[in-house]
Amino acid sequence: MWQQVELALSQSAHRVLFKLASFLPALVALFLAVVVLTAIGAGLSALLHRILTSVRFDERISRNQVGSVSDWAPSHSPTALVARTAFWACVVVGVFIGVSAFDAAYPGESQISLFVLPYLAHSVGAIVLLIAGTIIARFLARSVLIGAVNAKLQYARFLSMGVKWLVLVLTAAMVLDHLQIGGVVVELAFGILFGGIVLTLSLAVGLGSRDIVSRSLERNTDLASDGLPGDPESRSSMSETLRHF
Amino acid sequence: MASIQTNIDIAPATNAPTGSLLVSLAPLASDALEATLANLALAFPSQTVLVATPDSAPNLSSGGPLRLLPYTPTAVSTTPWVLTAADYLNAFALVQENQASACLLLGAESHTLHPEAIHALAAAATTSDLAVARYNLGPREGLVNSAILYPVTRALFAARPRFPLAIDLGLSSRMAQRLASEAQRFTAGNQNDALIWPVAAAASANFTITEIDVGTRTLPQPAAPDLNSLLAQIAGSLFTYVDAKATFWQRARTAQAASPIIQIAPPEEHPADVSSMIDAFHIAYTNLHEIWSLVLPPNSLLGLKRLSAMPPASFRMPDSLWARIIYDFILAYRLRTINRGHLLGALTPLYLAWVASHLLLISSGIAPEKHIEELAAVFEADKPYLVSRWRWPDRFNP
Repeated sequence: MWQQVELALSQSAHRVLFKLASFLPALVALFLAVVVLTAIGAGLSALLHRILTSVRFDERISRNQVGSVSDWAPSHSPTALVARTAFWACVVVGVFIGVSAFDAAYPGESQISLFVLPYLAHSVGAIVLLIAGTIIARFLARSVLIGAVNAKLQYARFLSMGVKWLVLVLTAAMVLDHLQIGGVVVELAFGILFGGIVLTLSLAVGLGSRDIVSRSLERNTDLASDGLPGDPESRSSMSETLRHF
Repeated sequence: MASIQTNIDIAPATNAPTGSLLVSLAPLASDALEATLANLALAFPSQTVLVATPDSAPNLSSGGPLRLLPYTPTAVSTTPWVLTAADYLNAFALVQENQASACLLLGAESHTLHPEAIHALAAAATTSDLAVARYNLGPREGLVNSAILYPVTRALFAARPRFPLAIDLGLSSRMAQRLASEAQRFTAGNQNDALIWPVAAAASANFTITEIDVGTRTLPQPAAPDLNSLLAQIAGSLFTYVDAKATFWQRARTAQAASPIIQIAPPEEHPADVSSMIDAFHIAYTNLHEIWSLVLPPNSLLGLKRLSAMPPASFRMPDSLWARIIYDFILAYRLRTINRGHLLGALTPLYLAWVASHLLLISSGIAPEKHIEELAAVFEADKPYLVSRWRWPDRFNP
């Protein structure tokens, strides 16, 4: 009996080692593909950086655009944005090639790439969505903060955070949906959360803006009773107004 | 106003005498146009003057010194309260067509200009490249100009005209050409309403500048006076120009000597209510401190902290603090430390704090012009700060 146990153990160990040995070349192929494409990406990125710097790409972009790319680019440099995009594009291509190479090098009929590649593509899309959503959330939050402060709203920071989290929650829901994680649970949770945030903001704006509305109405009433700004009669009240320009 | 017979000819462009003065008018209502033409006739009783107007020419009798020239603008400006790129381009086109040696550019509401002032501007335009009007404004008028435009232009471009963005200018033909070439960069990109800085342009080209006191004049106001957007537009345009002319103003130079007009004004009977501006500053200090800390160094932030703790009655922003704030914002604009729209939006509450401080100061008896001149002097004294931060921005990064 012990001989049979020993035989079974040695055979299973042999099978596992054999599987591992046949798995290793595929893994090495994947690793090599990623490393080689990363190196190519780094070289391409450095070359692009040098070429774009020599043709003064940043200055041409900032001169020709009103809403400049420079505000969005890392280090406010479109050159850096292009170079980094090229680098990461090469890394992603390397991963795709590596997965295909893994599939080709792995013996047997299981075509892993058929499952992995589409999910990898979705993952890349999800990462891009996440980055874009984060950037947009921060930009909008700051825009709302400054606008609300200049409108003398006491709850400016609250409004800004509300907008930021609104966009972040939306982004997170889109990312999870893109990755096909959670399914209906995520959709439901997002709906409840998003609706709750919107309701809270609406209440805050509605209750808090009563002062603004009443001030605006008072201003319109004063203008109507004092006459047109050009009227001589209105000059006595207008003399107290400031003219910034 | 009653129509006045002003003896005006409607002159075709080809018959215009060379070496003449061209007066370019902004679009005016018919009664304002008549009044302006009457003033021009009084200003130039014995001199042939071409008067170009985009409006339809009134039917008036022939014979006399004024020759009316209706024209179709090459570029159209939708911002009548300030001279824009379109105005300079149109003016130069008229100068070229009519071979005028000097050009008077009169902005909106020009019927409120005195004939003597018009004559003085025209005379200055024949002897110097740029003649700039100086207006006699009240202490609560032209505050953006007093706070930012005049001190920055004087400190960086060594040009003393009190109103760098004046709407009444006298231009020599070469000055008109220079301004038109700057304007063309904007109009080519369909930015007809872009601002041009004639005083800074003249200074950077080493052209001669003369300032003419035109007395009181009704200055046109923006149609939609939203301080935030207008301040962002004007300050942004100035900061862009400063960035473009960095190689010029970084060289040390002294401003042309001039005797500033300082009037001893009695305290105002009804001091301005600055509480809303101080409140706006306090709200901004609470909420925008993080954004300001990306732009301003610790010293300036400490100054703002002290300012926020001051009681309203003694709210006083030191001139040195304001000068450094503006210089730091100019630098942040250039470096794009944060989005430029956000940067200029964050400047508005600081500007309101300066206005509140200025109004409280003048209500205590200090002459407004005296304070503005002192402020401009501080900007000049602090110019090395901007130069060093401009050249070595990494040496100190807040």
